[in-house]
Amino acid sequence: MGAIRVDGLRKSYGAVEAVAGMNFTVERGELYGFLGPNGAGKTTTIRTLTGQVQPDAGTVRVLETDPATEPLETRRKVGILPEQGSPPSFLTPREYLEFVGEVRDLSADRVADQTVAWAERLGFESKLETLHTDLSRGQQQKVMITQAFIHEPDVVFIDEPLANLDPLVQEQVKRFLISYAAGDNAVFVSTHNIDVAEEICTRVGIVADGQLVTERSLDNGADEGEGSLLELFLERVEAEETRDTPTLEHLGS
Amino acid sequence: MTGSTTSDRPDSGGGLSTRRLLAVLFREEWRMHTQLFGGWRFALFPVVIAVLAVGATVALLETGTAQGTIVGGLHALAVAFGLYSGTAGFAGSDMLENVFGRLSLLLSSSTTLPLSRRWLLGVFLLKDALFYGVAFVLPMALSSAALTGFSAATPVAVGLFWLSLCLVFAVGMATTVGLIAIRTRGVPPWTIGLAVGLSVVGIWATGSLGAVQSVLVPVRGSAIAAGGLAVSTIVVAMVSLVAYNPTYGRPSRTATDRFARLSGALPFENAPLVTKSLLDLARSSGGVWKPFVSASILLALVAALVGVVDSITGIVPAPGIFFGGVLGLSAFTTYNWLTQFDSLEAYLAYPVSIADVFRAKRIAFVLVGAPTVAVPYLAAVIWFNATLLDAVVGAILLAGYALYYYGLTVYIAGFDPNEFLFDAVRFATFTVGVAVALVPTLVAGFVVVPPSVELAAALGVGGVVMGVIGIVLSSRAGPRWDAKYRTE
Repeated sequence: MGAIRVDGLRKSYGAVEAVAGMNFTVERGELYGFLGPNGAGKTTTIRTLTGQVQPDAGTVRVLETDPATEPLETRRKVGILPEQGSPPSFLTPREYLEFVGEVRDLSADRVADQTVAWAERLGFESKLETLHTDLSRGQQQKVMITQAFIHEPDVVFIDEPLANLDPLVQEQVKRFLISYAAGDNAVFVSTHNIDVAEEICTRVGIVADGQLVTERSLDNGADEGEGSLLELFLERVEAEETRDTPTLEHLGS
Repeated sequence: MTGSTTSDRPDSGGGLSTRRLLAVLFREEWRMHTQLFGGWRFALFPVVIAVLAVGATVALLETGTAQGTIVGGLHALAVAFGLYSGTAGFAGSDMLENVFGRLSLLLSSSTTLPLSRRWLLGVFLLKDALFYGVAFVLPMALSSAALTGFSAATPVAVGLFWLSLCLVFAVGMATTVGLIAIRTRGVPPWTIGLAVGLSVVGIWATGSLGAVQSVLVPVRGSAIAAGGLAVSTIVVAMVSLVAYNPTYGRPSRTATDRFARLSGALPFENAPLVTKSLLDLARSSGGVWKPFVSASILLALVAALVGVVDSITGIVPAPGIFFGGVLGLSAFTTYNWLTQFDSLEAYLAYPVSIADVFRAKRIAFVLVGAPTVAVPYLAAVIWFNATLLDAVVGAILLAGYALYYYGLTVYIAGFDPNEFLFDAVRFATFTVGVAVALVPTLVAGFVVVPPSVELAAALGVGGVVMGVIGIVLSSRAGPRWDAKYRTE
């Protein structure tokens, strides 16, 4: 049984069909890259998988829970790093992580230990007492990464994991994500960064116009005769005639 | 500032003329409002303002209120609206960029284009003054027709009244922008607050209140006085813009860990959510005093109005009933402060339901709102010598109506109470909801002084009923907004 299972998922906002019949499965131990151009339906899919949005049709299962009918149970079991970061908050990172810990029913000692460990790993020890709203975007992203992993969930949903991070921290986060997935967890990463996906993911799915148009396993690199992931991406997305995506000819010229 | 770059010079707009920028900003303003609320709902808003202003004027005249009181009240409203609109000046610095920056692409474009931030802000504020002057102040001015009656001179009277209201609206805006400019020069907020407080006390203590009132109602004064006020306002606005430091960045603030202790001390199921709300309120600009200041301003305005009515008609309302009913309105501003820096969507990353979030906000509202209204209410009943019965009934009305207004606000506006101010349908619904409770109470407060035991009992029961309705409304807000967020 997959950690994440999606069958015939559909979601519209008025006349706009954001997700138009999505099907895929993610197993434990996978670091799954969800690639697609702007407006392809990636964020809506994540929001549906985490019970933030009610689907119009289809079946979704995350760790044997149904996010549509039991969203709190789903969110209790998973970690979420949202696309838009965090709202301006006047808590310090230490207080914010205490808040997340209390909401997730974690012991104070465990939260304190995790806070110190993550602050050292991502380099925000000196910012633990600074108001969150006064942190740089990169520092805020580090705190948000911490809250997504603080309860060591079996499945994590991440929208653009490396946004605003400096190159050193990017490397640390990439290595951490690879090892975390290898520890029998599933990591679902939505990103525009094809190089990063190619570097860290075990498998990728390419989305265009609300549908999964192709998947590729990256465990053993590309097979002979297969093009790069970028070529595959442009080829499949172009085939779907996505309006907002430049064509190969445009890029060539 | 030790030096200014090309883009910081006041006249630096690159190849873009001020007129062209104004036009583009107007278009963006219109689209922002129509996008947020739907075109016709926003377009109807001036009509709602006009209906309310004219309706209230007619009703006040019918109940014997003097014309001077109504004119003064409308000018006070225009000043208050101007003070509020001037807060857009914050958008030029990084203080509230998270609030305004997301809404105005043009305003934040000084970071990416060779445009002066100060010039951009100046034109933005000018746009605001013109936009709100036409969309909101002009409908208010139509009440002049109800004051003077219809005749051939009505258009001229309305026009003059509009100019008068526009002038004091601009005074309000310039005052706020001036204070913000001082803030960007590194003057601590408490110093500014102290100076403002001392100025107000000074005006009151020296008996200059009447003089200030007459200056701030230009339509009743001389043309020279009005011209002087206009020139002064322009000077203050220009000096503020020059003094405004576009590169101001507030230093990072730190805080000791208070979350765990406070959350542990609160005996509620949703203690972490309540604690977050309280700390966000306490640490944002103005701190926990913001709701108290809002309630005190309401108290001062209403008390001044009571004084004016007394001096003209000799009628003084039952203070407990009157102030209990009116001060409950501070529920709106208190809730507004509690949601100012919060976003409902952000909570969807945690295993908490939207209903839990609303429950936590209600607890935070009671914890903050109770002392916020209790102190001004006690001051009012002592100052105006309320009888014991009147004071007790007023306290019940205050608690019940505050819960009712809170429930009404949460049910109609969810987490964005500020936004519904410009949505004709929501605003009209809120206004009717407030009037249903407040108008009969005010009438009773003016007619039966001091209140009879029967009237007091009836009003007390009414207060309890409205409080229960408020609790029901706020309880239903969770499921209602949960459905909206998850399905739309």
